[in-house]
This record gives sequence, C-alpha cells and structure tokens, in this order.
Amino acid sequence: MTPALAVQDLAIEFQSRRGQVRAIDGATLSAVPGEVLGIVGESGSGKSTLGMAIGRLLASGAHHVYGDIRIDGRSIFALDEAGLRALRADELGYVFQDPIGTLDPTRRIGLQIKAALGGMATRAGIASVLKDVGLADADRVARSYPHELSGGMAQRVCIGMAVARRPKVVIADEPTAALDASIKNQILDLLVTRCHAAGAVLILLSHDLHAIRKYSDRVAVMYAGRLVETGRTEAVFARPAHPYTVMLLRSAIGRAPLGGRVEPIRGAPPVLTKRCQACAFAPRCGWSEQACTSVRPEVRCVADRDVICHRAESVIAGGATP
Amino acid sequence: MSAGIRVPFHGEVLAQAAIMALAVLLALSVLGLTTGFFGSPTALGGPALSAPAHSYPLGTDQLGRSLLPRILAGIRVTILLSSFAVMTAAMIGSLLGMLAAYLGGIVDEIVARMADLMFSFPAILLAVLISAILKPGTPSAISAIIIVTLPVMIRIVRAATLTVAEQDFVIQAQIAGARLGRILTLHLLPNVAGAIVVQAAYSISFGMIIESGISFLGLGVQPPGASLGSLLHDGRLYLSVAPWLVFAPGFVLAITILSVNLVGDGLRRTIDPMLE
Repeated sequence: MTPALAVQDLAIEFQSRRGQVRAIDGATLSAVPGEVLGIVGESGSGKSTLGMAIGRLLASGAHHVYGDIRIDGRSIFALDEAGLRALRADELGYVFQDPIGTLDPTRRIGLQIKAALGGMATRAGIASVLKDVGLADADRVARSYPHELSGGMAQRVCIGMAVARRPKVVIADEPTAALDASIKNQILDLLVTRCHAAGAVLILLSHDLHAIRKYSDRVAVMYAGRLVETGRTEAVFARPAHPYTVMLLRSAIGRAPLGGRVEPIRGAPPVLTKRCQACAFAPRCGWSEQACTSVRPEVRCVADRDVICHRAESVIAGGATP
Repeated sequence: MSAGIRVPFHGEVLAQAAIMALAVLLALSVLGLTTGFFGSPTALGGPALSAPAHSYPLGTDQLGRSLLPRILAGIRVTILLSSFAVMTAAMIGSLLGMLAAYLGGIVDEIVARMADLMFSFPAILLAVLISAILKPGTPSAISAIIIVTLPVMIRIVRAATLTVAEQDFVIQAQIAGARLGRILTLHLLPNVAGAIVVQAAYSISFGMIIESGISFLGLGVQPPGASLGSLLHDGRLYLSVAPWLVFAPGFVLAITILSVNLVGDGLRRTIDPMLE
C-alpha cells in the first residue's frame, strides 16, 4: 500500500536572532491509510515542528534543509502556491491544543465550518458535520460564536472541521492538553473514530503516554529532531529498543507505586545548531559507549521496529541496564 | 453577551456627554447650512467688528460677516475634513499594517521603516512642509493630516495584527485553503477592527488640531471658506478690539477636540478593557 504520509530524512532549521537552530535532524517516518500513529517525546523534541512541516505551515524563519515529505506519493515541497492551497484544503486536517484559539472569535461556527468544507456547503452539510461529532443541537451550535462554546464542544467542532473533507492525513497536536481531564477520552475516542470513518491517517502528537498506548496502532518516539524508535505500540511499550524510550516509559506518571517516586530522565535535551554527528542522546544515556559519541547512528530494523541506536540489541535484551 | 438593545458606551458618562456635545454641534451646523436660520456665513453688509448683539449673536468680523454662521460652517469643515483624511489614512494604514505583520520579512521591513521615517518628522512641521509644497488649500490640509496620522495607524494595526496572526485560527484558515485576501479581510481585519476604530477616533482629534494649526498659519482652508482654524487666523489681528473673533471659534474648537478625545477614551475602554 502507498503510504499516505512518508517523511524521508527530513531536516528543518530555524533562523533566529540568536543563530541557527536545527529543529528536525533527519526524521524518517511513514504511515498507511487508516492507522493511528502516535508521536511522543519531551517538549522541544520537534513534534510540533514536524506536524506543522507536513502542511508547510512553519513560520517564515524556518527553512527546509534536505529530505522530503510525501502525501499520497506527492512531494509537498514540489507544489506551487495553488497546489499547496489545494493540498491543505483537500488532504490535510489539523486539530490543535487550544480549540477556542483555533476558531476565529469574530465568526459564527457555521460560517467557519462552511469555509472548512470549501465554501459551498449547505445548511444540511454543516449540520451533518456537527452531528457527526456528537453535537446534537447543530443549529444552535452553528449560530454560536466560539466564546459561547465549552472547550470540549469547541474541540468537537475542530475535529469536525479537520475531517470535513475526508483528508488523507489528520495531525492532532496535543488535542486534549487544554481540556478537562474528564472528557479527554471522549475527545480522543471521537477523533480516532472520525479519522477511521474518513479513512485518514491520524498523527497523534502527545506527551500523554497513556493516551498514546490506548489509541495508537504504532508509536514513534522523537528525540532531538529524530524519530529514534518506531514500531507497533504494544511491542514498543513492552520491550523498548531505544534507551530514551526505556527512560521515557520509566518516567511516566502512574507507573510508580502509590506514594513512590517516578524516575526522571536526568539532564536536558540538546539544542542542535547543525547536523548531529553522534547520537544526540549519548550524554544522557546509561548504555552509551565509544561509538555513541563519535558515530551518527542510522535507522536499523531491530526486533520488528525501526530504531536509531548503536546498542539497540543490548537494550532490548535488557542487558547492561544502568 | 445578552441580546437586545444596549445603550452605547454603557457606564461611560463622559463619552456619552461628549457624543451629545458633538451631535448638538453637528446638528446646529447642518441646520445652519440647510435652513440659513442663523444667517449666511459669507454675506457681507453688517456693521464691521460689531460686538455680540441680538442680530449678531456672536458679533461680526472685519468685513461685517456674522460670526455665528461662520463658526457653524467652520465646525462642519473642520470635522468633515479631518474625518475624511483619517478614514483615508485608516484604510491605507490598515492594509499596510496587516500586510506587514502577516507577511513579515522584507514587506515588514519596508513598511516599518517607511512608518519610522514618516514618524521621525514633527507632525506640525511636516504638515506645514506639505502645505508649503502643495498649493495652500483644503487638499494640502487633507494630505497633511493623512501623512501625519498614517504612521501611527500603521504601527497600531501592525502590532495588533502580530498578536492575532500567531493564533491558531489563522493557521486553520490557511489549512482550509484560504487565499491572502480572504485571510486579510475575513480573519485579520475583524479581529483588529477595534484597535483601528479607537486609533481613528484619536486621529480625528489630532487631525483637527493639525487642520486648525495649518489653517491658522494661512496654509489650509482659504477665504471665503471657513474652518475653526482659519477663523482664528482671521480674528487674530483684531484680538484687542474684537476678542470674540478669537475666543468663540477657539472655545468651540476646544470643546470639539475634547469631545472627540473623550469618545476615543470611551471607545478604548469599551472595545478593549484589557488595555487599562
């Protein structure tokens, strides 16, 4: 099957006043239609940058160094202005963290859904988008302004807008981080269901390991702009092959016994200014050896997953744990 | 946000009073123009430099023209001229400010430096310069007000757009495939309209000061036309013998500018309470 989304050795840099920062440093990833791909990683690992890069939505200071992103086989970097608009409108959907901020405060919900549908929607079409995301009182919601909705309702509207035109890829960047804990699962359930119904890939960017474990078919772990481990969710959570995954899972809230302490990952993630010539995780890694600080690890297939680590075999075998 | 009729400027007593004052001044002015009830602003023939009396409520000038209809005509000219100029400046300034903030990069550099350049000249001096280059008259007064109020408008709109443009709904519009024009008019403009309206109110009062200033210097509205500034210009020679020729238009000018400023304050507090 052609992957709906394929990211190949992508590198993105930002030009800031304090110099150059490399946010994505050779990320490789692919996803087939209908699957849910979770991407986890700490803040600053490049999750959001990757998500925005897929729609070429990065700020003007960002610059594409090398690599490619293909949606349904077509490179997004080859598109002209009109092609890019068509791609965004027809094949991409985004769900952001803050649903109220994703809706224009000066426009009624109905009009915004109409724009998401392509401007030629009927009343019935708008109502059906709202009904599909569980907003039964569609007429009233369509007449409302964003500030008149609760966060959960607004996120339902955003999900409806994201999948309205049956996109190939939906990118959800922390879709529940701003919502009340009690409705997180409802929103994620809805998001996954709607993406399945639309036949779209769902890229779920999140810090929330429980949610990723529950909802994603495959999981990709991001560190310092690279996807260090990608595989079936159960396999990765059961037997991680990258030291960062191991430590990330150890640091998850809820793993430690009641009253116990969670184990943090010591140190801070690096800020890269250019292509990293070694393993970016080596300074924080208990498994690191000579090669880790001198040779850039490439993607290898170990135990049915893609991993970027010189010592993946020992890590997965559970040997030589720090 | 309850529906139903709301009193404009709820709780803003000063702004409400200022609106009333402006409405009364404008109503009298329009009434004077249409009915001629207060006499003609240009008819000669009265006694020259007559003190306020029953037939000439505010006295007459050196040519025997009644001052009251001249002031009423002057109010109209001063307010309309300034409003027209500021509306033009607001349209140009909004477009440039939004483009600069939204597109960033080289467009932003050019627009921001252009505004800085215009801003670096003292306003009155610039206005005098423009009036001197162009022929003295109404068009040069209008261009002076536009050029003086434009850089502030650009800056305000640019700053407001910068905070709006980074919000997710603008990205959402891009994802829906919106073109630049659509994003500008449907998403950015409505969200910065409050800032534009407030700034426009302040600009109108500033424009009236500029207009009066250059008309007072004889570079703005030319005789036989009258603006509040040109009335001051005409009356200044007779200050010792006919002080009403300066005091009456001066008082009306002060009231008008104060009222417009108070309306601006009210607008600001009503539209953007976070600024306080």
